[in-house]
Amino acid sequence: MKGPLAKTAILLVGMYVFLKFVLPLVTAPLPASLIFLYLALTLASAMIFYTMSGGSLDEFMGPVGRFLTGSGQAGVAGTARILVFVVFPLLVGWQTYTRLAPSDMPPAENRTIHPAPPGEFVGLANPYPTTPENVMMGKGLYAAFCSPCHGANFDGKGPAAVGFNPPPANFSDPGTIAQLQESYLFWRIKKGGVGLPVEAMPWKSAMPRWEVELPDEWIWKIIMGEYDGAGQSPRTWEEEE
Amino acid sequence: MGYKKIFNVALGLTLMVTGVGASCVFASDPPPEGGAGSVAVRLFLTEGAVPADDPNAAVWNTIQPAEFKLAPQVHWPDRIQEVTVKSVNVRGIHNGQDLAMLLEYADPSEDAADAAAIEFMVGDKMAHFAHGQEMLQVEGGDVNIWYWKKEHGKATDMTAKGFKTLRPQENQNVSATGAWQDGIWRVVFSRPLQTGDEQDVQVTPGEWRNVAFAFWDGEIVDGAVKEKGSQKAVSSWWYFRAEPPPDNSIYGYVVLGIVLAAGFEFFLVRKIRRGNES
Ligand code: HEC
Repeated sequence: MKGPLAKTAILLVGMYVFLKFVLPLVTAPLPASLIFLYLALTLASAMIFYTMSGGSLDEFMGPVGRFLTGSGQAGVAGTARILVFVVFPLLVGWQTYTRLAPSDMPPAENRTIHPAPPGEFVGLANPYPTTPENVMMGKGLYAAFCSPCHGANFDGKGPAAVGFNPPPANFSDPGTIAQLQESYLFWRIKKGGVGLPVEAMPWKSAMPRWEVELPDEWIWKIIMGEYDGAGQSPRTWEEEE
Repeated sequence: MGYKKIFNVALGLTLMVTGVGASCVFASDPPPEGGAGSVAVRLFLTEGAVPADDPNAAVWNTIQPAEFKLAPQVHWPDRIQEVTVKSVNVRGIHNGQDLAMLLEYADPSEDAADAAAIEFMVGDKMAHFAHGQEMLQVEGGDVNIWYWKKEHGKATDMTAKGFKTLRPQENQNVSATGAWQDGIWRVVFSRPLQTGDEQDVQVTPGEWRNVAFAFWDGEIVDGAVKEKGSQKAVSSWWYFRAEPPPDNSIYGYVVLGIVLAAGFEFFLVRKIRRGNES
């Protein structure tokens, strides 16, 4: 067994070095998924090649093995066998092509929309009571500072919304503020797009860092006005548990 | 024989892993985000010279433009709620040495203070689209801004890292020419792909990078310039790429894949056959 195992290992290492380091010297590097597929094919071939006894393999493969060797087959089964044998390599070839074919589209970026907030913002409660006056004040501040992007109707369709990618959040959509606690909004409004962690791609966000312009009191009241105007209510601690 | 069993189990596992690996490879990528408008500018590869200072060169008409919507700059003070330039059509071309980008946009009047700018991230560090402003959890990099103003008649190659840090660079590597006709500005920016200046964006064919745009309507209204400084039309980051030359090595890989798969089949069948004979 020592021989075949060592040979298999050498073959695999050689193949890996070739795919990973030698080929990129002359062409573009291969995606990891293709290197993996090729190595797996090589390993499977080597193991079959070095199996001491074919008989045990036959037992192991059973009817699949009989189908593949074509023993005693004719007609439909024979044709199916040839098809399988032709289609499998073509499939691998086609996959290689689609993986490597030059794409006209930029790479897909998976932006986390609701990342975890920093610890100091978890569980804060709105210190201001939900009185009609406070809600009114919040709506007024919203109209002045937020509506150009998030829209007078809280739908993310303000006059300045079009230039930005990602677009301003649509608060009337149940997927945004209704999923969040007030403390989360307090964090997002205070620190803005630039306060996001790396997985949320802060460099792309147009959401302003309002702490440099608005006092905390205004931010808490804007949150009230925002939920009221959008017809949503904040997620509470009880729901979280 | 103990070895045989071990080997068979190992073979089974390998086949399973191959299957899983193959299904990973076969799974397709999610589509990129982005609604109406374009998401990327592609600088098409040409042989010969790029139309570096000719906004009306015939070759521009052969290139499909990318369209980006623009917003009034309401992200930081001083804000502006209404701007003249609502969208821009962008075309790009390169020849492996130099690149040129044409910005085409509507502006009803030709004014001395009309201006346009293209912004890029520099190097590998991410930078915020608003002048590379400070990010709180991520260490940001510089932005490189190519600025053209009608009354200057040329481009200025600039650097910023944060608000109020924008300044012209020591090495000026960008040129620009604008032509206004019938309410349309056509401004062409050009530069070598690589400049060797670490303050500049370096453009490598085949590599996606980020790009953003800004425009100022310099019309005089009530004795003052309508849009200036932070009061402008803006976009946030979109993508751009200088197209790579066609790569034929892909066919070599296709052949390699087919040979490996066929070899796998060959060994499999041969082994089972031998087993049957013994
Ligand atoms: C310049 C445009 C702009 C302005 C003005 C603006 N926002 Fe935003 N806002 C955005 C963008 C873009 C996003 C989405 C990206 C992100 O999450 O950072 C966003 C996201 C948010 C979110 C996160 C929603 C979620 O589901 O995670 C909240 C909350 C928010 N904004 C509140 C406000 C409030 C309150 C104001 C006014 C004080 C305001 N915004 C003003 C652009 C803006």
